[in-house]
Amino acid sequence: MDKEPRDEEDGLSPMARQMRAAQPYVSAVWKLVGGAVFGVVGGYFLDAWLGTSPWFMLGLSLAGISVGFYGFLREMARLGKKR
Amino acid sequence: MRKAMVLFVGLLASTAFASGASTGEKEDVAGYILHHVADASEYELESPFSAEHKAIHLPQMAIPFKAGACEPAHVAEDGHKVFPPLSAGCLDISITKHTVMMWLAALLLIGSLLAFSNRDKSKMVPRGVGANMFEMLILFVRDELAIKNIGKEEGPRYVPYLLTAFFFILFMNLLGLVPWMATATGNLAITAGLAICTFVVTQAAGIRAAGVGGYLAHLTGGVHWALWPIMVPVEILGLFTKPFALTVRLFANMLAGHIVIFFLLGLIFILENLAVAAVSVPFALGIYMLELFVAFVQAYVFTMLSALFIGMSVAMGHHHHDEHAEGGAGHDGHGKAHPVGS
Repeated sequence: MDKEPRDEEDGLSPMARQMRAAQPYVSAVWKLVGGAVFGVVGGYFLDAWLGTSPWFMLGLSLAGISVGFYGFLREMARLGKKR
Repeated sequence: MRKAMVLFVGLLASTAFASGASTGEKEDVAGYILHHVADASEYELESPFSAEHKAIHLPQMAIPFKAGACEPAHVAEDGHKVFPPLSAGCLDISITKHTVMMWLAALLLIGSLLAFSNRDKSKMVPRGVGANMFEMLILFVRDELAIKNIGKEEGPRYVPYLLTAFFFILFMNLLGLVPWMATATGNLAITAGLAICTFVVTQAAGIRAAGVGGYLAHLTGGVHWALWPIMVPVEILGLFTKPFALTVRLFANMLAGHIVIFFLLGLIFILENLAVAAVSVPFALGIYMLELFVAFVQAYVFTMLSALFIGMSVAMGHHHHDEHAEGGAGHDGHGKAHPVGS
C-alpha cells in the first residue's frame, strides 16, 4: 500500500509511544483473563437458562481458561520472537 | 470579582436549599442531593426568595414495540407518567432535564462558534478574546491531542471528531456550574453515548487501517478456527473495555464534584447551625473553583483518551497490514502470519 516506509511514531507523545508498545501485551493478558471470565460467566448463565447447573459452568470455565492460556502463551511467544 | 463570585455561590447555595430551609422541616439531605444530581422529567426552578416550588413538566413520550406496551404503569397527581420497562416492550424516550441541558450546550456551542469563527479568508488572524480563546483550544486539540496521540500522518483526519467531543463535553460540564442548570455529563446514559461515538470512530479507524478482512482476522485472536467460538467473544468483549472506562470515568468525575459541593452546603442543614455556613460556604466556593478547572480537565482527558485509543487502533491496523504484507499472507490467514505456537 505504501511506497515509503512510514514512521508512524513521528511526533507522538511519550505516553502514546508507551501505550502503543504496551498494547500487544495488554491484548495478550486480556486473552488470558477474558477467556476465564467468558467461560465462567457464560457457563453460569447457560446453566441458569437451561437448568443444567453446574455442567456448562464447569465445562465452559475449563474451555475458556484453556483457550485463554493458549492464546496468551502463543501471543507471548510471538512477541518474544519479534524482540 | 471576588465579591461577585461569593454572591454567585451564595445564590447557588440558597437556590439549592431554599425550599428545605423555608419549610423548616428536617431535610433528608442525602435524598435531596441525589434528587438534584439525578435526571428528571421536570425542570425545577427554585427561587432563593420564595418557598414556592416551580417546575416545568417536560414532554413525556414512549415507543411501544407491541400494542399497548406503553400504557403508563402509574400516573402521578402532577401528570408524571411512569412507563413500563424496556423488557416489557416499551422504549421511554421522554425529554429529561439532562436532554434539555445537552441540547442547550449544543446550541450554545454552535452559536458561539458561529459568532467567533472567522469566515473572512482575507483576514486569517483572529481578533477578539472569544476568537483567540477558541483558536487556542482548537490548536491545542489538534497539535497536543490529535497529532501527539495518533501521529502526524493520520492525526489531522480525526481532528473534527475530537474537537466536537472536546467542546461538547466542555460546554455540558460548564453549563452544570450555572445556577438552575444541570450537569448532563453527570448522567451515565450521556457519557455512554459519547463513549459509543468514540468506540465507533476507533473501530472505523482500525478497519480503515487494516481493511475489513484484517480487522475481522484480528478478532479471531490468531488461533485455530476450532477455538474461535471462545476466542471471538473474548476479543469482542475486549473491544468494549475502553469505551466502558471512558463512560464511567467521565460520569463519576462530574457527579462526584457536584455531590461534594451539595454536601458541603448540606452540612449547614445537617448540623442545624448557621455558623457552619462560615466554613462550608468558603469550602464549597473552593470546590466550585476546582470544578471549573475539572470541567476543562475532564473534557481534555476524554478527548486525549479518545485520541489515544484511535491512535492505538490505527497502529494495530497498520501493524497487522504490514505483517501480512511481509508474510505474503492474505487477511484470511491470520494464523499463518504468526506461526509460533501452532
